Amino acid sequence: MDVFLQQLINGISLGGIYALIALGYTMVYGIIELINFAHGDVYTLGTFFSLAILGLLGVTGVVTGPTLIVVVLVTIAGAMLLCGIVGVLIERLAYRRLRNAPRLAPLITAIGMSFILENLMQYWRGPSPIPFPDVVPNPAFVAGSVTIQAKQILVVLLAVVMMIALQAFVYNTRLGKAMRATAQDRDAAQLMGIDINTTIALTFLIGSALAGAAGFVSGVYYGSTWFFNGFAAGLKAFTAAVLGGIGNLAGAMLGGFLIGLIEALTTQFISDEWSNVVVFSVLVLVLIFRPAGLLGESLPNKV
Amino acid sequence: MRWSPILRAAVVAGLTAALAACSGSSSGSGSSGGSSSGGIPTIEIGIDLPLNGADAAVGVPTKNGAILAVEQANAAGFAGGKFKLTTIILDDSVQGKHDPAAGAQNVKTLIADPAVLAMVGPYNSNVAKAEIPLTNDAALAQISPSNTNDKLTIGDAAKALRSSHPDTIAYFRVCTRDSRQGTALAQFAQRLGWKKIYVIDDNETYGKGLADVFDPAFRALGGTILGHDHITANQQDFKALLTKAKTLQPDAVFYGGDVSTGGALVRLQMADVGMAAVPYMGGDGIGTTEFLKVAGPMADHTYYSLAAPDAAKLPSATAFVAAYRKRFNADIGAYSANAYTAAMIEITAIGKAIKDDGGTTPTRAAVLSNVAATTGFASPIGTVGFDANGDTTAPILTLKQVVHGKPITVAQLTLKT
Repeated sequence: MDVFLQQLINGISLGGIYALIALGYTMVYGIIELINFAHGDVYTLGTFFSLAILGLLGVTGVVTGPTLIVVVLVTIAGAMLLCGIVGVLIERLAYRRLRNAPRLAPLITAIGMSFILENLMQYWRGPSPIPFPDVVPNPAFVAGSVTIQAKQILVVLLAVVMMIALQAFVYNTRLGKAMRATAQDRDAAQLMGIDINTTIALTFLIGSALAGAAGFVSGVYYGSTWFFNGFAAGLKAFTAAVLGGIGNLAGAMLGGFLIGLIEALTTQFISDEWSNVVVFSVLVLVLIFRPAGLLGESLPNKV
Repeated sequence: MRWSPILRAAVVAGLTAALAACSGSSSGSGSSGGSSSGGIPTIEIGIDLPLNGADAAVGVPTKNGAILAVEQANAAGFAGGKFKLTTIILDDSVQGKHDPAAGAQNVKTLIADPAVLAMVGPYNSNVAKAEIPLTNDAALAQISPSNTNDKLTIGDAAKALRSSHPDTIAYFRVCTRDSRQGTALAQFAQRLGWKKIYVIDDNETYGKGLADVFDPAFRALGGTILGHDHITANQQDFKALLTKAKTLQPDAVFYGGDVSTGGALVRLQMADVGMAAVPYMGGDGIGTTEFLKVAGPMADHTYYSLAAPDAAKLPSATAFVAAYRKRFNADIGAYSANAYTAAMIEITAIGKAIKDDGGTTPTRAAVLSNVAATTGFASPIGTVGFDANGDTTAPILTLKQVVHGKPITVAQLTLKT
């Protein structure tokens, strides 16, 4: 039973990282129906930017007290901003001209973008795994034989806060309304005076900024990064977004946590090598019985 | 879709570059065999190693070892100055990881070039698996500095790799096999007093091969294997797996695999599940500086074997270590001396073939039979020779332990063959 609880904790924290990436996937899909394969790499780029910012701040180990808050806020804000800019640039350079092209064209471009980012990162920091400094103190809270680490709480907390903030933004602000309108019918939105280019750029800005935040947390959580990490993480996060109902923010979150849990429990009770098989089998089953995903609706209620 | 002028220019430029590359390589290889640089015919030695990606950390120093051998041979007036040796260096990593298909393509390139008389490489066993049938078919002598998987040289699997010319052995290696490495590691684990071990491998030819030897060998010595799990490609999170291992309270965790497949991450995450004090053991795949860098303070309590002697500690390697340092301004890698030895053997075989043939460019077959006949060859890594399968007759293994972030040599064993 203790092991089961411990694995639930492992699964939920892993799911938190998937959820953060999945939010960006689902936003972009929701608004322009593009599977942005470069998104996983923007997430890895977030870890790289965080590393660079920590390097500029001269942080190499655990910091405490008020400095910790400053360091974390500066790093996370910097990584979000830089990733957001990268996201907007990707949209402007690679996707905007293909917006009305056949579906396959932007999809292939997205894959190409992913390769470009991976190779740029490899060029920047080398091909090897890179250690990430232990910035955040990591006390473990022990309850019985179950242990929760501070960084696990950080991951889950950040994912939930981001999801709620995003939900609030999309449903309670003018810009959010513009995003929903663009998602529903781009041409009609344009006729109503919405600047769809700005709105789509904004979507990329927010989605990529979230990936930047996820990048920072994953660096802290795993203590290392690698230019190729975004490939596998992006694939899982995309699966999470589809599982939850692509285009649906709460769904992306739910999907992320579910996939994390399935992976952890499969590892414990079946074996590690089957975890991907089980994850994708669950995806197939869900799509057979609920083609729109767990929280997806057949009516467009996207972004 | 309308093409922008920039896009159009880029495509044209790309095509031009591709054409230039094609014509460049054809003019480079087409006239070889009797090709000459300054009147002296050139003989090429192919090198196929992973030179970018996570494996580059070990691939590049290995490549440098082979280059040094060729440069020294030229400087010493190879074949009385009648021939000049050069290297053709090919990279078998794709997207930062060693790739069997890329390796096979590289070997095809080498075979198509008549001036190539022998090759050094590859680094990884799964790449070798794709390459052996090709070098076997072309009778091109191939010596790997580092492949340790058993199935490359012995058993039915090896026979299947050599099916086009079953009687020809074209693939050799100067390092020892996993069955010897795995067995040595099991004995070492027992000597350290471990009774219960949890085994994890990366499901690749090398990693799983090593773990599959270690597992029964450790049981045979009376130890208990608590579990044996295979991780998946590009896996980043091992906390669930390690949580499962922790509940079984192992004396140590054994990892079969490379740093690029998770060797350092598994160790790093052992701290997260409260296994920081549990020792960690692996093969030569985790015996890299990269492992030490990524695992950081967690690298302590790690034990690993190298399928090579610790060249820095061998009297026979003193001259090599100094020459390497002088040429590349860096310390040798774990397999630099092996690659140097592999290239030396090939150069000697080519030199002998030239002499036997009265000073003409030798055939690949002549070079191959000289390589196969290598015995009692004095090299930095000791006296080397090949058995009937192409395996080294003098397998030396080094066992290392990481203490305060630095690997120290715990034992050096010459195994009985």
